[in-house]
Amino acid sequence: MNHDYSGIFSNYAGLEGDLIPILQQVQLKFGYISTQSTKEISKFLKISENQIYGVASFYSQFRFTKPGRHSIKICMGTACHVKGGQILSEAIERELDVIAGESTKDGRFDFHRVACLGCCALAPVVQINDDIYSQMTVIKLQEILGKYE
Amino acid sequence: MNPQNNKLNITIDNKLYAVKKGSTILNAAQENNIYIPTLCAHKDLTPYGGCRMCIVEVEGARNFLTACTTPVEEGMIIRTHTDQIQKERKEILELVLSEHTSSCLICDEKEACRNSMTTIRKAGVTTGCRYCPNDDKCELEEVVSWLKIDEINHPVFYRGIQVEKNDPFYDRDYNLCIYCGRCVRMCQEVRMANVLAFTQRGRFTVIGPAFGRTHVEAGCEFCGACVEVCPTGSLAEKYNKWDGVAEGEILSTCGLCGVGCQIRIQVKSGKVIGVLPAEDKLVNNGQLCVKGRFSVNELVNHYQRLKKPQKTVGKAILDINWDEAIEIAADKLKDCPPDEFAMIVSPNCTNEDLYIAQKFVRSVMSSNNIDTTARLYYDSGLNDYLNLMKKSSALSDMKNSSAILCLGIDLRYGRSVVGVEIRKALTREAKLITINPNEHSLSLNADYWLKPNPGEVTDYLKTLLKLLNNESQGIKDENLNAISQILKNSENPILIVGSEFLNYPESPEIFQQINQIADKIGAGILSLPAQNNLYGSLLMGAYPELVAGGTANKNPSSTENNTWNTYKISSGKRLKVAYIVGETEPTSKKIADFVIYQNIYPVEQKELVDLSLPAAAFTETDGTFINGEGRIQFVNKAIEPPGVSLPDWKIICKIAQKMGAKDFDFSNVAEIQKEISQNSPRFKNLDKLKRKPQPLPEGITLQANQKQDPRDKKTTASYNLYKKEHVYRGIPLTDKVEGLKKLIAEE
Repeated sequence: MNHDYSGIFSNYAGLEGDLIPILQQVQLKFGYISTQSTKEISKFLKISENQIYGVASFYSQFRFTKPGRHSIKICMGTACHVKGGQILSEAIERELDVIAGESTKDGRFDFHRVACLGCCALAPVVQINDDIYSQMTVIKLQEILGKYE
Repeated sequence: MNPQNNKLNITIDNKLYAVKKGSTILNAAQENNIYIPTLCAHKDLTPYGGCRMCIVEVEGARNFLTACTTPVEEGMIIRTHTDQIQKERKEILELVLSEHTSSCLICDEKEACRNSMTTIRKAGVTTGCRYCPNDDKCELEEVVSWLKIDEINHPVFYRGIQVEKNDPFYDRDYNLCIYCGRCVRMCQEVRMANVLAFTQRGRFTVIGPAFGRTHVEAGCEFCGACVEVCPTGSLAEKYNKWDGVAEGEILSTCGLCGVGCQIRIQVKSGKVIGVLPAEDKLVNNGQLCVKGRFSVNELVNHYQRLKKPQKTVGKAILDINWDEAIEIAADKLKDCPPDEFAMIVSPNCTNEDLYIAQKFVRSVMSSNNIDTTARLYYDSGLNDYLNLMKKSSALSDMKNSSAILCLGIDLRYGRSVVGVEIRKALTREAKLITINPNEHSLSLNADYWLKPNPGEVTDYLKTLLKLLNNESQGIKDENLNAISQILKNSENPILIVGSEFLNYPESPEIFQQINQIADKIGAGILSLPAQNNLYGSLLMGAYPELVAGGTANKNPSSTENNTWNTYKISSGKRLKVAYIVGETEPTSKKIADFVIYQNIYPVEQKELVDLSLPAAAFTETDGTFINGEGRIQFVNKAIEPPGVSLPDWKIICKIAQKMGAKDFDFSNVAEIQKEISQNSPRFKNLDKLKRKPQPLPEGITLQANQKQDPRDKKTTASYNLYKKEHVYRGIPLTDKVEGLKKLIAEE
């Protein structure tokens, strides 16, 4: 847990306004905002952890759980929604026992529902890491998940 | 209508008003008794403009403006409740209500239900009418009925948030929350504790600490300020949830520590149902700590209170009446030689109680054997601690201070109002240095936090003193160098001394060093003792070495050449009669042949006392306290004491009179104060008292106790009780106040 935060903090003067850039740097380095991170930031900026969490949880760019080894994004845009994105999402939740925005207990996957991946003609679309899977069905999805360990 | 210099002319609802420049439309309207509904505005908080209830029409403005955030301008024409505004307000409030388990607001049986409130039979179970306290403080309800909303034309979205009941003292049901942000702003702007924040966003927004932690985990001080400002039933005090509306409130002084906060005691049916802070600019500025805010009611209403005089016959305890009790006491005391009598009195008693107690000992018993338990609490550091009180400054001096040095003090629970003042000083660019081995409520705010291990404190202070004396050769410690620079260049520095170092064997040295530092940099000291009336006990002369007025007793010994004090309870000459006033039994052995015990709770080990006399708590008596700053403060009786209990001074007077003493026929505290004023001129004209603080007079000195080795269990073990900080009349608050048990872990 003893990550080195000083490298990040040394770029900032320690003003209140530095909070969001610091949060971004911390997330870039560790992948998420941990309780340890808020504690360190709190000490550096002299802002309470509660306030830091208040700010960070407002923005969807910040996450508070450790990302999985693989990242699943299911498109919920209009086209994908019409073509059954919701069914895929529910299948993932059931299959992997995970809720949107969080990671599986074994740390294998994290799972997000996103607005549009920009390839509506291929709906419904699922993205795992950098791979795009088009015209998905629940059965196809189950097979594909097996490729990621 | 000539515009005056600091006034502006505006029109509200077709009437002309001259209002103060710089005020908001809302202030201007309120000053002229024009009602504008509000939910998020609060007099102690900055304008927020969140609830949109206060929208008004201003001629020339494009939209409706929120009255709470719009400053008045010359010639403004404002309309506060046109049909269209009312329609919009209704619409906005209905949207708010669609997320509020609000059926009680529009329930047909609202009026019939009002008196019983706690019944769920009259309304649907899911509507949650059982959740709100019946204190009639629902501002939401007021606005709903003013707007005459009787139905909600939106689908109801019930958030289904779990009610938070795990923290002590208050429950939180955020299903009732309307996001006015008053609690968050209170916590952030006024208390600056920053425990509450808005987390998440949109319809998932909740109020609370980071990562869903409990308030205990998140560093909450449990000051209750958020509960007081909540306009709904979201935040509700547990203890008095169903006690209804207070019948009255009595202004008084909190008796639970040396800060001496001014309080408003809420009273109903002869019971204290709650305590709220008074708007006092001198001491607590409308704030309280967890002890003052939440523990007084539990402490004084407790079912275990001693309510009748009792005598011990063999192993049985018998209730007796006052006449018999006074007779027994007088009888035993009459035959007691002066040097075989002793009185232990509590520094929690009022000045009047303490004065009468010492007068009784000296004039009736012809003895000097009177002492308070403060001697045991401060132990060998006692005299050096008193020397700190001789340099005391006022709490309000912090306003002008540019550097604050906190020594061994945690302001999270006890004395948290001082923490608020410190954080306020920090917003004015004051520097804060804390010396405390443990994490404490100011560790985040401190510019420097020194963490000496126990045993190292004197070394740190010695080094700091050297640096202040410009003997810096060879001292490399960067922090101490920086701290000494801050202190040297500071204006009106203040040292705040807590109780942490009291248990250190080297406490006398530490206090002496603190004194030297204060001298060196010209600092004031805030010592704020744990005992609310320590100062008063000294000034009243409740010690062998001092007489009334706080002057030295020329002949403190009784008959032998040996002054008695509480240290000799178990080791000195065997006592014939001991009279304990407002304290618990000091040791696990009986301390005299006959023990008279006078307190608000019965003694735990019944066999240690022979006669128990029921006394009044500070909410049940009149009188005065002197706080740590040296300010005389008024204690006012809020309720009658339970059963036949009486104030300490009255009981002592009764015994004295029974023994034939003449000068004890006081019928009220004013008469006692008159007599006190003969020795202490400060007690003259108490009514016109400006409550000015005054450092402890130079002459007050007590015989310092021998330095004791804390490892020597034999000498200290029996007095452990008196080492506790959060104690009232010898009773640990954690014993009687359920919630404090969770917060304060006292050894």
